[in-house]
Amino acid sequence: MREGTVRTTEVWKKFRQDDRPSYLQDRVATLKDRIQGRSRPSWRWALSDIDFSAEPGESWALVGANGAGKSTLLKILTRVMYPTAGRVDVTGRVGALIEVRAGISPLLTGRENIYLTGSLMGLKRRDVASRFDEIVAFAELEDAVDRQVKYYSTGMQMRLGFGVAAHLEPDLLFVDEVLAVGDASFQQRCLERIRYVLGQGTTLLFVSHDLAAVEATCANGVWLHNGGIRTRGPIREVLNDYRAAVEGEAESRPQIEGLLKVSKIEATSPDGGLPKTGGRLDVDISIHSDERYRAWVYLGVSEGAATPIFLLNPGRETMFEFGQTDVHCTIGSLPLPAGRYYLWGGVYKNWTNGEELVGWQPLTHFDVYGPELDAAPRAVVRLSPLHVDSEWEIEKV
Amino acid sequence: MLDGASYEKAVVGRSADPSLSPGQKGAAAVPDEPRPEILFHRRVRLIPALRELWHFRELAITLAERDLRVRYKQAVLGVAWALITPLFMMLAFTLIFTKFTHVNTGGAPYALFSYLGLLPWTFFSSAVSQGGLSLVNNVPLLNKLYCPREVFPIAAIGDAFADMLIASFVLLLLFPIFGYGPELISLLYVPMLMGLLFTFTIGVTIAVSAVVVYMRDLRLVLPLVIQMGLFVTPVVYSSHSIAKTELALVIYSFVNPLAPVIDGLRQVVLFGHHPQWLPFLAGSVSSVLVLAGGFWLFKRLEAGMADIA
Repeated sequence: MREGTVRTTEVWKKFRQDDRPSYLQDRVATLKDRIQGRSRPSWRWALSDIDFSAEPGESWALVGANGAGKSTLLKILTRVMYPTAGRVDVTGRVGALIEVRAGISPLLTGRENIYLTGSLMGLKRRDVASRFDEIVAFAELEDAVDRQVKYYSTGMQMRLGFGVAAHLEPDLLFVDEVLAVGDASFQQRCLERIRYVLGQGTTLLFVSHDLAAVEATCANGVWLHNGGIRTRGPIREVLNDYRAAVEGEAESRPQIEGLLKVSKIEATSPDGGLPKTGGRLDVDISIHSDERYRAWVYLGVSEGAATPIFLLNPGRETMFEFGQTDVHCTIGSLPLPAGRYYLWGGVYKNWTNGEELVGWQPLTHFDVYGPELDAAPRAVVRLSPLHVDSEWEIEKV
Repeated sequence: MLDGASYEKAVVGRSADPSLSPGQKGAAAVPDEPRPEILFHRRVRLIPALRELWHFRELAITLAERDLRVRYKQAVLGVAWALITPLFMMLAFTLIFTKFTHVNTGGAPYALFSYLGLLPWTFFSSAVSQGGLSLVNNVPLLNKLYCPREVFPIAAIGDAFADMLIASFVLLLLFPIFGYGPELISLLYVPMLMGLLFTFTIGVTIAVSAVVVYMRDLRLVLPLVIQMGLFVTPVVYSSHSIAKTELALVIYSFVNPLAPVIDGLRQVVLFGHHPQWLPFLAGSVSSVLVLAGGFWLFKRLEAGMADIA
């Protein structure tokens, strides 16, 4: 079993805020301050009061907007960066995949790079040698391993980086938003590999904006917001909070108009209560127009982001005359588990690629009452959280 | 993997309370800034720092090997470049200082005399110019995983040493040409002189490498400073031609520890004498001071490198 643990207590990190160019005299002053152990003002807190811990075999996702401090936290955990305040304890060998090209020397061959990364991780050469073939096979670089890395494609560099980081038996594996570069089959193998190292007790920290991959890979999550921990806990709860906040921001944008103007939006169940899983949902939208349009109306339901779980349209063009048009849509059987969902909509002049009359945007949200979403097995990516009624019969023969 | 000894932490009060589980913390308001008692102070202790460096010796070797490969892989003449620079300088110096002006070499052939000066000088100058930029040039590697940052300048010094070894083979040619043989006493004293040379070179290189991260302008100034260094170092001339008295020689050796190294090499290899002890001692004292100061400065600046780079 591996013994990779991470513990941070009250970690703070401040960053220089002003981006004015620094001339020689500024740098001399900075240098002088630094030697004397002083620091200068105009900083902002990139991380504030981070308490976080991960035990061997745990998998944690870090989610949050750009600039929330995810990468800074990882850098502090890899000990590349020092915290301004607080305590950081990291035990175990760290394998990190921070940027695709970080630590890869373009002038060296793939083979030389594998050994270089190995020694950076603190491994002896013979340890690297014993896993060399496995890494090369995983990264599918058999033909390219003795070529200089500058002739590699981005995907090949990523495969090399991931292969090394994940195969040199790290106690801790940090993956920062890099898997997106690989093709679909490689991404799948990365997730499989991550599942395998998790099974061996490696502790995983995963930073990604691909929430589906995050949900499939990690059991726990931390949502960082402006340098602080907003939510921490089981991944699905964290993601629900995070998605809701993304939606909240989108909703606060007060523009439900394009060439057409949306005035009334309602998503209700017929009995006036909460919509139920498998029950009916009525959507009523009123649209004002100053001109005649033939247009396509689209509705989508999402967990917050602009990418919907499913899309609906009437299947034909809608005529908008001068004045108000009421659009009514009934979803007969709502295939959603319990939770909060967001109704998105848009109106387009032609079918799938037409001019926007109303841009794709969140219209309203609704809560669904019903069974919780079943948990997925580790490293199984579920694209959409749908609830499907099913009956099973299992007989022993 | 690491004992974390060089990664000292401040004392933590509040959060050490085990009854406060992470989940409950959200209830407490996040303070505006950290409590002063948890501010991070990096304490550097010599022995753990050296132990950690030793732990990463393979990384230093791999890095040195990488840089050598990269350097010679792309060069048509390959390893020959290590010979060409000192060889050509020696030829040029020999031409100038034997045809146009005269330098007192104490009776030794000028080519040998200057080559013995050029070997340590080339080592020092290439270590400082390559090693000085080693941190700036390795930013992607620095930002990936932790390692004691000294490995980068030290790897560059290793490369410079490898070049010096290669360039030393020219001596095998020069000795028979001039009918000279290295004195046997060299075996004893040359390692000692090399020790002094290394101490001084490491001290200067790590200091320069750390400062360059904060002041990139130095990259442009560095070659100039190194070139000037050639003239204040007894490479083309002998120390005795500028330091006439014993005291002057000691002071000169203290200010420029390369002087006793080069003088010593000539004394030992060409004449079979032992090095002059007082200048050697002066150079040693100042080298150790430079190394200690360089290491202190490096560790001082190391903590903030990732913020700047």
